[in-house]
Amino acid sequence: MPDGTHTTIGQPAIRIDGRAKVTGMARYASDEVVANPAHAFLVTSAIARGRVRGFRLEAARAVPGVLDILTHENVGGEAEKPQPMSGGDTTTTLESDRIWHDGQIIALVLAESFEAAREAAHKVEVDYEAETPAASFGSPGAEEEVREAGEHKDYKLGDAAAAFAAAEVKVDARYGTPTQHHNPIELYTTTCEWRGGKLTVYESSQFVYGLRASLAKQLRMDPGDIHVVSRFVGGAFGSRGGITARTAWVAVAARRLNRPVRLVPTRDQGFTIVTYRAETRHHIQLGATRDGRLTALRHEGWEVTSRPSQYNVSGTETTARIYACPNILTKVNIVHADRNTPGFMRAPPETPYMFALETAMDELAVSLGMDPVELRRVNEPERDPATGKPFSSRSLMPCFDQGAERFGWKRRNPSPGAMREGEWLVGWGCAAAAYPANIGPAACRVTLTAEGRARVQIAAHDIGTGAYTAIAITAADRLGLELGQVLVELGGTELPAAGLAAGSSHTAGICNAVAKACEGVRQRLAQAAVTSNEGKLAGLDPASLTLSAGALRGPGGAAEALPKALARAAPGALEVYAENIPQGLPPESIGKVYQGQMAMSRGHSREDATTYTFGAQFVEVRVHELTREIRVPRAVGAFAAGTIVNPLTAYSQYMGGMIWGIGAALHEATEIDPHAARYVNDNIAEYLIPVNADVRSIEVIMVPEQDSQVNPLGIKGIGEIGIVGMNAAISNAVWHATGRRIRELPIRIEDLL
Amino acid sequence: MDVLLKVNGTEHRLAVDVRTTLLDALRERLELTGTKKGCDLGQCGACTVLMDGRRVLSCFILAVAAQEAEIATIEGLAGENAPLHPMQQAFLDQDAYQCGYCTPGQILSAIACVQEGHANSADQIREYMSGNLCRCAAYPKIVAAVQQAKPLMEGS
Repeated sequence: MPDGTHTTIGQPAIRIDGRAKVTGMARYASDEVVANPAHAFLVTSAIARGRVRGFRLEAARAVPGVLDILTHENVGGEAEKPQPMSGGDTTTTLESDRIWHDGQIIALVLAESFEAAREAAHKVEVDYEAETPAASFGSPGAEEEVREAGEHKDYKLGDAAAAFAAAEVKVDARYGTPTQHHNPIELYTTTCEWRGGKLTVYESSQFVYGLRASLAKQLRMDPGDIHVVSRFVGGAFGSRGGITARTAWVAVAARRLNRPVRLVPTRDQGFTIVTYRAETRHHIQLGATRDGRLTALRHEGWEVTSRPSQYNVSGTETTARIYACPNILTKVNIVHADRNTPGFMRAPPETPYMFALETAMDELAVSLGMDPVELRRVNEPERDPATGKPFSSRSLMPCFDQGAERFGWKRRNPSPGAMREGEWLVGWGCAAAAYPANIGPAACRVTLTAEGRARVQIAAHDIGTGAYTAIAITAADRLGLELGQVLVELGGTELPAAGLAAGSSHTAGICNAVAKACEGVRQRLAQAAVTSNEGKLAGLDPASLTLSAGALRGPGGAAEALPKALARAAPGALEVYAENIPQGLPPESIGKVYQGQMAMSRGHSREDATTYTFGAQFVEVRVHELTREIRVPRAVGAFAAGTIVNPLTAYSQYMGGMIWGIGAALHEATEIDPHAARYVNDNIAEYLIPVNADVRSIEVIMVPEQDSQVNPLGIKGIGEIGIVGMNAAISNAVWHATGRRIRELPIRIEDLL
Repeated sequence: MDVLLKVNGTEHRLAVDVRTTLLDALRERLELTGTKKGCDLGQCGACTVLMDGRRVLSCFILAVAAQEAEIATIEGLAGENAPLHPMQQAFLDQDAYQCGYCTPGQILSAIACVQEGHANSADQIREYMSGNLCRCAAYPKIVAAVQQAKPLMEGS
């Protein structure tokens, strides 16, 4: 820890919300009970491009219990389309007759029961004016353009083309990653309830203020008249980061019926009514000297998006700053197709882009006859290669060394196919992981009560990350309390604002805000104690007083119990509100969070330093010599992410990320019918996610790292990085097992026949 | 249609649409929202409950067909402020979840897994717990939780 004063930060703690989760008492947005709700069922488009000519609704309306049917014809003007968090424009739903993609929301059926709404929705007949859609890369009608610099930048250092042409050793290869869907287990439920002109929305969210702001704009309301509630979130992974179209229509429906409305979309509708990870293509050229030093690095990416959106992830922001190289050139292209608008999904830029770079690095190691870990060591940069700025901390090689040691890497026979065990071909692969240490502004209110308890209020989001507990740990640490003495309230717009829980930024943002408010409490208590005419702390320097073990303490052992210290500072409870603005962001950035906008200091865009989390991942795969079945018996991930607030939950997060990597590399792909531009396997029996039997040994090493520059608590963030190196580590291990270099994910039996 | 459901030892009389699943009856009518809807297609296991001690998917059972059975849901395992069932305690201790949405189904499935005699090795637990998807991927810790709870459940 940077200043050596923490007592509970860094100690493993069982989740404070754990009992609620194991007893079924945790109330997810889908579980909120409202009085006498009407039930909504979506009708979605059966074509991917064209227009709705009209509806025939007689059969649907005749279903007993049907209350209303919303289409563009009767409510189109009552809401505007949502504003995505990134990428500008997006597709419409009921605002017009236009069809932008398959599965687009075109009507809502409202009924007394879920069963009646579903039956009626299936009886809605639609006349389409269909056009031929473009599904993806290479489809006739898909439009490609170069992504202009703006939200994301390109890098041009030296002359990468000339350096590549002259290089002694080269890799020149193309890679691809598929469409993937988040599939959190909680469905994309929305419940809306009006009381007078005020609207309450129960929807699981990664950014309650963002949801409120967009919805207010869509419905032309004052944001203050909307209350968003999201106490527990049943998985998110990016899918609940930005508002999507459904929310406003449920609100409109509830207003028309003058009654609460609950929408529980189906699992397959979840594939088209929210975002997804778009498929990508990559061209990588690496040039190196014979001793392995990189002389040229070119990375060009292609990403699919919807017709109106400019959404892209531009992972070249990361691939340009992993390795020392004097000649770097990056470029990103976006390809518009007749698809829904993509969005954030776990490690949005790095998961696809680092797959390409880290597989190419393995290919380079093979060409050089060099150990892949040693190739990384040779190319370890002194400073950020893309900008020349220093790294606030960089522990890539300690991660590689500790990971290699645990994995037993030195026993690896470098020849492919050389490590058999019975009928199984054994392969060992590794890859680097990196993710920017991002942080956003946040506000927080801490109330200390006469009973010596603290209440912490912050509109943070616990998407499974352990935010409830991280907040409590930080407050207990700073106020000198036991964990059980801290009550945490989060997940609602009635609370002080916190930003988007995404991009591994949230723990850093919210814990630093909590610490700041707690410091305000300490200052108030200290000031009251030292200016008092009596007491052991009178006359002392207020800066020398600390809070620990239930008391305000001075140097030399003088102490005063918390209730007494509190009584001096405040007659009842002491309440402190604080706003934390991370270094490099303007003071008004907290206002942007209150207005529901993204305001994030990114690890690759800071003035003072480049701040990144690094990791190294090692994987063993086994490929059956006859069936070519692929298994992952073990994986080791070593990560250095500054201060770890709660090692127990951090382990779960890293481990979950690594298993996501097994899914991404071997299982997950949303298949698209190229003619209909329609997702084919839109359910979680056919969209394969890892199950218990797919996972065996996953080991996580938390490499100690102190970084006092990244932010006051030294927290870098851990949610994303666990997946980042897994795709390449697995593909590199498959090469080592079989001699086959698979450059398109997922890797499946048919690729190895 | 009028049905009688016996849930966690309490009898409930209610009128339901014949198409209403046991899952929707529990969640929407009895406000027992600990049982979760994750797919409504029998694919994810989030809606697992015990019927006469046997683990079943409540999205695949119509409420009208559940009338003769003793149904146990997550809410029935431990009372408010009462000691947790060993499996609940094990999930808590092992951090065998993240978001927690699949957890009620995992816990009920894990209890049945032990009672069926399908928790004799890590491999067997993995196999017999693979009907319950966890997108946060807490799987290794779920296996550890089942191993922690098993001897306590068996009284050894």
